[in-house]
Amino acid sequence: MAMLRLEDYEKIIEKCSQCSYCQSTCPSYINELSESFVAKNRLLLIKETLMHERMPYSSKAKEILDNCLLCTNCTQTCCSKIPIDDIIISARIKAGQKGAGGIKQFVMGKMLTQRGLTGVLGKAGSVAQKLGIAAKEIPQLASRPFDKMYSGTYTPEGEVKKRVAYFVGCGTNFIFPDTGEAVVKVLNHNGMEVVIPQGQVCCGIPALGEGDLEGARNMVETNINLLAGLDVDAIVTDCTSCGMMFKEKAAKCLPDDDPLQEKITAVTSKIWEVTDFLQNQGLNMPPGQLDITWSYHVPCHRGWSPTVKDAPRQLLSQIPNAQLKEFDNPEQCCGGAGTFFMEHRDVAEQIRSNRLEEIQNTKSDVVLTQCPVCRFYIGFKVTDREVTHPIKILARAYGF
Amino acid sequence: MQGLVKDLSAFLGPSQILSLPEEMLAYANDATHYFKSRIPDAVVLPHTTEEVSKVMKYAFAKEIPVTPRGAGSGLAGGCTPVHGGIVMDLKRLNKILEIDKSNMTAIVEAGVVLKRFQDILEKRQLFYPPDPQSASVCTIGGNVATRAGGPRGVKYGTTGNYVTGMEVVLPDGSVITPGGKFVKQSVGYDITHLMTGSEGTLGVITAVNLRILPLPEANRTVVVVCETLEQAAEIVAEIIARGAVPAMIEFLIKLAITIMNQYFFPPLPTDGEGYLFMYFDGTEAQVEYEAKLVSDICHDMKAKEVRLIEDQKVAETYWIARANVYPLIQTIFERGNAEDITVPRNKLPDLVRAVQAIAAAEGVMIGLAGHAGDGNMHPSILFPQVTSEAEAKAKIAIDKLIRAGLDLGGTISGEHGIGIHKAEYLSWELGQTQIELMKRIKYAFDPKGIMNPGKIWMEDGDGNA
Repeated sequence: MAMLRLEDYEKIIEKCSQCSYCQSTCPSYINELSESFVAKNRLLLIKETLMHERMPYSSKAKEILDNCLLCTNCTQTCCSKIPIDDIIISARIKAGQKGAGGIKQFVMGKMLTQRGLTGVLGKAGSVAQKLGIAAKEIPQLASRPFDKMYSGTYTPEGEVKKRVAYFVGCGTNFIFPDTGEAVVKVLNHNGMEVVIPQGQVCCGIPALGEGDLEGARNMVETNINLLAGLDVDAIVTDCTSCGMMFKEKAAKCLPDDDPLQEKITAVTSKIWEVTDFLQNQGLNMPPGQLDITWSYHVPCHRGWSPTVKDAPRQLLSQIPNAQLKEFDNPEQCCGGAGTFFMEHRDVAEQIRSNRLEEIQNTKSDVVLTQCPVCRFYIGFKVTDREVTHPIKILARAYGF
Repeated sequence: MQGLVKDLSAFLGPSQILSLPEEMLAYANDATHYFKSRIPDAVVLPHTTEEVSKVMKYAFAKEIPVTPRGAGSGLAGGCTPVHGGIVMDLKRLNKILEIDKSNMTAIVEAGVVLKRFQDILEKRQLFYPPDPQSASVCTIGGNVATRAGGPRGVKYGTTGNYVTGMEVVLPDGSVITPGGKFVKQSVGYDITHLMTGSEGTLGVITAVNLRILPLPEANRTVVVVCETLEQAAEIVAEIIARGAVPAMIEFLIKLAITIMNQYFFPPLPTDGEGYLFMYFDGTEAQVEYEAKLVSDICHDMKAKEVRLIEDQKVAETYWIARANVYPLIQTIFERGNAEDITVPRNKLPDLVRAVQAIAAAEGVMIGLAGHAGDGNMHPSILFPQVTSEAEAKAKIAIDKLIRAGLDLGGTISGEHGIGIHKAEYLSWELGQTQIELMKRIKYAFDPKGIMNPGKIWMEDGDGNA
């Protein structure tokens, strides 16, 4: 059975050889340099507390599990292929952590099941202001969400080469609709017809991260029912976390024998991150020259596609004069991690500070990343240059 | 241990002391959790040598055991706090204090992660060769304390060959700085190299002087598929005998290749029994010549396939897979106990035959991988299921493996150290007189016996092998 039940991981958790290689990529460990906050300790702790109940699930245990950003870096690093992130999600589900209170609860609240962040971020901001915390680091909502501007089918001029559905994540819909515009224009320009179905909701990954399985399942059902019936060649998303949710997590939110599983398989087989899709298909139109240098912050939720982390690099290398300047650690977490930064301000800021230093040292004109949280969270502190989605640079090279 | 945290709080901040079991589970052992495991009474996370010294002074006065710890990735139980007490986590002492290109030396704190140091050097066209396969996490301090090595041992030696000096906090808290920033020294007893490999039993290494080298300009990777394990071992012996000096010669069996193949495109053929991964570095002309020489030797000796990997990125995938092979084993077996036998290189074929014979006689699976170029092999008992019967069988097989290695003129550990894992075999290799001498040296450094007690040799009550 799927369903992210902790007891289903009793055997695989024993595969941890305690090699400690997870220290190399865990952002909360790298920040603290204490083994309390590394996957090895979290797995041992889950075993002792929530799985075998040999130790009480204390406030310290909760703190250590809550300090996991669910960035999945340990899962990607683990040679023993332990699905550490799924185990932590299952532990949170078992611990009954549905929303951790405060601002996050507003963001995570029931409205997510309608259209994700509609109004919620605004509310979170005002609540934060009342509480005197973090208000300035709550993302500002766009004046018009993407789904109020774009909906339906967008047909390119000339021959239609492919027909793709566009799943619009909450980040693009509410905070960065400019990404969505670029996606539609670039796809159209390359001969792709774009279908934007109405009624999409949040992909469910933030709810799942909170251990809210029911909330996540509801969102999966809504989205899958909406997308499964479409006559399209591919389903694209501009957000790596939405992509991960569909590709790796959606099926785990329902029982294996649930009738929806077939539809989930149909949808996940078509899911692509948009730059990954374009790179895979090849550009039909050559981009124009752009005299810029750019750096690429690879989102943590990249493990679901072997090619997603190189797609922007390869795609943008086709823009004449645009020059990639690599960060020293392009794959290290920025600390944003969904809603993590709202509740763990200090930890998130410390993690981010290393990225900011790298950005300052790298001196490129633009910082690119496919994740809207990274874009917001890095962009909040990087004001001397543009932080945006790679698709926007491609759109610009096309003259949009 | 009542009052411990309160006492430690006198000289450490709250974020530098761990005392709840929830936050110390990971500190109960290293990567050999199946030998022994014990949650310490407290973990301290010092930032400076001064803080280390204060903790030692306190522990010395109170006679509390102290176990120094790097990444905890060791394979001998060296940092497992078997007597409880304080674990001294040195990972926050992580400053690279100096890289001196004009002298080709560096000074690093004990907690610097090996790969980070190597990456920084590489950007400056410099090179620090020791390469334990846990480089992405293991610390230089841990490397020095275990005299760690890796595949490059064949050409470049191991950590001990690069240490020229260090800063050490002795058990009573006093600080000494044996050796220094010079490539040779002849001044009395060589404390620097006595500390190197002392596994935290004599004092706490807080910083190290290291020799560094210029980065070789070119490299080549060659992969060889052999019909049999003996053939692979004989090829290695022949390469060494003909005077070729690859930087690495790694020996792997088919089982390992089938697990590692997920990293390779195209995958390696699985119709061989033995596999060699070789790496040559130096000038372009040198690597060209050596790769050709070794390829010719392999062809002469009828290897099934010799694959010269031209593309650097592809070559890297072979070495990443090699680094991960031990944890990868865990994906299909419940456990794999890695031994660390090292024999004279012309005895490799004999060792390979002995390992196969022991596996057959005892009815156990023994995986065989290792740094064949320097004679260091890691036969691993593979447990499809861990049962008391399987453990008993494994014990007999390990005893025989160790004995076979020693009979071939070898040693029980090439690079992992003794810790608790191999303590029972120490007398087989060293004899009681040497062990007694070691104990007297230990007493001279640590008269109260607080430094990492229970390591290297057997304690009273442990039974004797």
